[in-house]
Amino acid sequence: MAANFDQLSAREIAAGVANGDFTAVEVARAALDAVEARDGEVKAFLQVSADLALAAAEATDRARAAGERLGPLAGVPVAFKDNMHLVGTRTTCASRMLENYESTFTATCVQRLLDAGATPVGKTNMDEFAFGSSTESSAFHPTANPWDVARVPGGSSGGSAAAVAAGEVTVSLGSDTGGSIRQPASLCGVVGLKPTYGAVSRYGVVAFGSSLDQVGPFGRRVEDVALAMNALTAGGRDPWDSTSQPVACDFAAHLDDPIEGRRVGVVPALMEAAGLTDEVRDAVSAAARALADQGAELVEVDLPNIASAIAAYYVIAPCEAFSNLARFDGVRYGYQEPGQATLAEQTSLSRAHGFGEEAKRRQMLGAYLLSSGVYDTYYYPAQQVRTLITADYARAYEKCDVILMPAAPRTAFKFGELSDPTQMYASDMFTISNNIAGNGGVSVPLGLGAATGLPVSAQLQGPAFADARLLTFARAIERSFSPDGGAPVAPAFAGKGGELA
Amino acid sequence: MPLTREDVAGIADYARIALTPEELDEMTAYMNDAVALLDPIRQYDLEGVEPTFHPIGDLSNVMTDDVPDDEVRHLPVDVALENAGASRDRSFRVPSILGDQGGDR
Amino acid sequence: MKKLAEVLKDWEAVIGLEVHTELTTLETKMFCNCRLSHDDPPNTNVCPVCLGMPGALPVPNEKAIESIVMAGLATNCQIMRHSMFYRKHYFYPDMAKNFQTTQGPVAFCMHGHLDLEVSGAGAKERPDATVEKDADGGYVAPIRILRIHMEEDAAKMVHVGGEEGRITAATESLIDYNRCGTPLIELVTEPDLRTPEEARLFMEKLRQTFLTLGISDCSLESGSMRCDGNISLRRRGATEFGTKTEMKNINSFKSLHDALEYEICRQAEVLEEGGIVYQETRHWEPSRRRTVVMRVKETADDYRLFPDPDLAPFDLTDEFIDRCRARIPELPDAKRDRYVADYGLKRADAAQLAGDPKVAAFFEEALEGVGEKVVGTLANVMVNLVPSYDALTVGQVRGIAGLLAEDALTFAQAREVLDAINGTDEDAVAYVDAHGMRQSTDEGALGAIVDEVLGRCADQVQQYRDGNKKVLGFLVGQCMKAAKGSGNPKAFNKMLAEKLEG
Repeated sequence: MAANFDQLSAREIAAGVANGDFTAVEVARAALDAVEARDGEVKAFLQVSADLALAAAEATDRARAAGERLGPLAGVPVAFKDNMHLVGTRTTCASRMLENYESTFTATCVQRLLDAGATPVGKTNMDEFAFGSSTESSAFHPTANPWDVARVPGGSSGGSAAAVAAGEVTVSLGSDTGGSIRQPASLCGVVGLKPTYGAVSRYGVVAFGSSLDQVGPFGRRVEDVALAMNALTAGGRDPWDSTSQPVACDFAAHLDDPIEGRRVGVVPALMEAAGLTDEVRDAVSAAARALADQGAELVEVDLPNIASAIAAYYVIAPCEAFSNLARFDGVRYGYQEPGQATLAEQTSLSRAHGFGEEAKRRQMLGAYLLSSGVYDTYYYPAQQVRTLITADYARAYEKCDVILMPAAPRTAFKFGELSDPTQMYASDMFTISNNIAGNGGVSVPLGLGAATGLPVSAQLQGPAFADARLLTFARAIERSFSPDGGAPVAPAFAGKGGELA
Repeated sequence: MPLTREDVAGIADYARIALTPEELDEMTAYMNDAVALLDPIRQYDLEGVEPTFHPIGDLSNVMTDDVPDDEVRHLPVDVALENAGASRDRSFRVPSILGDQGGDR
Repeated sequence: MKKLAEVLKDWEAVIGLEVHTELTTLETKMFCNCRLSHDDPPNTNVCPVCLGMPGALPVPNEKAIESIVMAGLATNCQIMRHSMFYRKHYFYPDMAKNFQTTQGPVAFCMHGHLDLEVSGAGAKERPDATVEKDADGGYVAPIRILRIHMEEDAAKMVHVGGEEGRITAATESLIDYNRCGTPLIELVTEPDLRTPEEARLFMEKLRQTFLTLGISDCSLESGSMRCDGNISLRRRGATEFGTKTEMKNINSFKSLHDALEYEICRQAEVLEEGGIVYQETRHWEPSRRRTVVMRVKETADDYRLFPDPDLAPFDLTDEFIDRCRARIPELPDAKRDRYVADYGLKRADAAQLAGDPKVAAFFEEALEGVGEKVVGTLANVMVNLVPSYDALTVGQVRGIAGLLAEDALTFAQAREVLDAINGTDEDAVAYVDAHGMRQSTDEGALGAIVDEVLGRCADQVQQYRDGNKKVLGFLVGQCMKAAKGSGNPKAFNKMLAEKLEG
């Protein structure tokens, strides 16, 4: 049996706990030890919930002792993006606004992983309120990319991606509004799935863009992500989320189905997109060849309106963000400016000082775009363009089962390298259109880039509620690119702490 | 026509975000950059195209039964107030609303 | 200021109403499963959803949607198959999310109408010739309804410090979110109302309709039904609208009438003096019988309305609408017509009984097993006596009506009996008999008394025969006295007249 928990898959940990090879508490202690040893440098976590982790692990061990059937994630160390509520932790959204916010309830996605037996190690860093692609806008500290600590992990779910890449946890959850799972997964060299909108409950996840947000898992292996998806969807639709829909499938059951004869779409225009680096393009081309080698048919498809996806997104997302963040007025919760004589002053100063720059920018943009007159110029047409983009995808999926493209245009950049906010927005050029359409997408590691030596990923996109299919193709890529069965823990951190006693 | 500093100040006032003069300058520059990025939206002829406000396919009529939940989601008053910056007895507290009527209701 | 009647000769008042009604008969709130509050301590019925906690999401209450569809059907609205919820933004902490979830351009119910029957003194408020009036001056006013939409109510704020109740002087405010998220339907009329009386009648009819549907307790006093009035004046014959003001804080039917009356007269005075009516919100002060400015609207409010992405759209099916239709009980107008047709009641009496579903149910229960001759008396009792009591039983009312119908009791005695038995389980007939109040109409028994009185009152008999018919009243009184109250005055009257004329 492996000596370090960071070498084990979720299935191996759950099986090991169930078989009595080790206890859940031993795994929890190993994970907490790894966090202790590694997170000083990675800074993936905003909070480590050691008490909750040990209590959950003890409960799992007691259940085993009592002869109960254990959940499919029994003892698996997990981390949650800090926009997900978990009673017993603060939920800060990496914002001063919520620095002291105690979760008053637990998010459905979090609860479902706990119900599957997972051990909650902590809450991870993010761009403030998920506005960003580098995790640099966290009000508390930046998170380092475990492959090069001078570089960003991507974002906004950078902490969740980095925690998995550094081997601090086996699985983590992120949220993806325009690429916030897939882009950091790409920059950190892990698997990250943004499921179809509605597949995973958003209840208890602090909203950014309500029609765009979707929760999904990170893991170093496709199978880990599949098991997490099973846990997230097994309970059926969430009656507390009006947009939640049932997903009746076993994500892990079809991972090694052959892809022979199945069709993989490639969008030539995307492979020539401005800003896409050669090493990423070459790696994605290699992924296409690998799928063809396994018998898949490569077909060219066209997404004629995809170039407008960023514009549509930067209309829709700020408007929804403005609306969703209006509730942070410092009255019921959140930062409250002290010593104000009137409500108007208290509200304006609480919001001015509680929110960081990007959070204010997005809300200002949204408040402008929703104003009367402007709504008809931008908001309504953006939702019409959304219809066109969705239709583009529907036509493309008549010709193919999945579409292969880059996840991010380039590998991880250095802290401070992208200082202009609108330049940062281009980081999501390959991911945003899928949020616009509500479809699923997954980042799959392709090893290290030829030029930078940093992780490079492919992205697979699929039609709505074909997320299990995405994982089948992701696993096919994994078979070709990760001979060890999954992506490695970043070498600088592998084996640091985390010994299974 | 670009947004002026006064336009942006008006939006900030509406959005209840106090900005210093320097911040207002920066915000004005940002807003104009960001709006320029949105230009592709204005280039379309969208006659007859229905908007997609909800990317949920045909899902509609999602409702819940009129049955009270006293246990699962109900919050005891102390928990309801625990994150509040100011409270008194069982209520949330705000300073003088001074002419602020919160719109027309 | 001139009087209303004077003003309305020269000016036409254009009035529209916005009526908010809480669906108080539901168990739970609009978008969460918290109980509706009825005088609970502050923040008792709250959850992450209605407190607007980050991460909470709304799910609409199905019964609330059924209720608004019923309201729409009962007010002749078109039920819109496709509609959505929107977010309406304004920063004010009575709305936990700083937006209100409401509906956009398309509401569940659009383009309805209610027809008002205006009669009596109220009908005189309308001097214009554009409505057809009947012989008594009454007329029918068709009032169009623009829409009824579904939304959520706000929290209650208590303003502390400063002068009592004066918001602007308060040093702090306390917020109770119990009411926040209570299902609320907002009905907006077209500006079709022309007099304060029409506005009052519209509200009354709406209240009767919603009470009959059982969707709300419709209490203006407690605020479960609230009414804002928009009002402008224009010269008789003019087609363009004048500048309107909006009236708030109307918490009784009388306030609605009086506030509109005041505002019409105030605007007329301003206009006749060459002044300008400003578009503003005004507050009715019932104690001082005047409206005062709350807030001047310089620009239209911009609420940044957009479709709520958290709530799936609605595509109501025929089946859903039919199910709502099937749940609608007999409405007041139909009930009134039935009472007129089946029981021969006067239209006004029938309307009064049919208007309140509790009264109508009581009436119909009391009718069970009652003979045809008693029906009219029973209705009379329901209209004229019962409203003064709070705890009469159906049996007691039926008993009183029976006694009155057979002339065994006078109306004055009936009141005496009801005063005594209200709130008890005593039978009306048993009470009357036990207290010897039953009046005889037996001509044999009463004849002796009549003869005795006529015998000793020769002077009055002579006066009668000389043409002073009024003296009959004195003779009836003498008979009553002689019978110690047990004789029926009508019977005495009849017998005395027969004997004197004969």
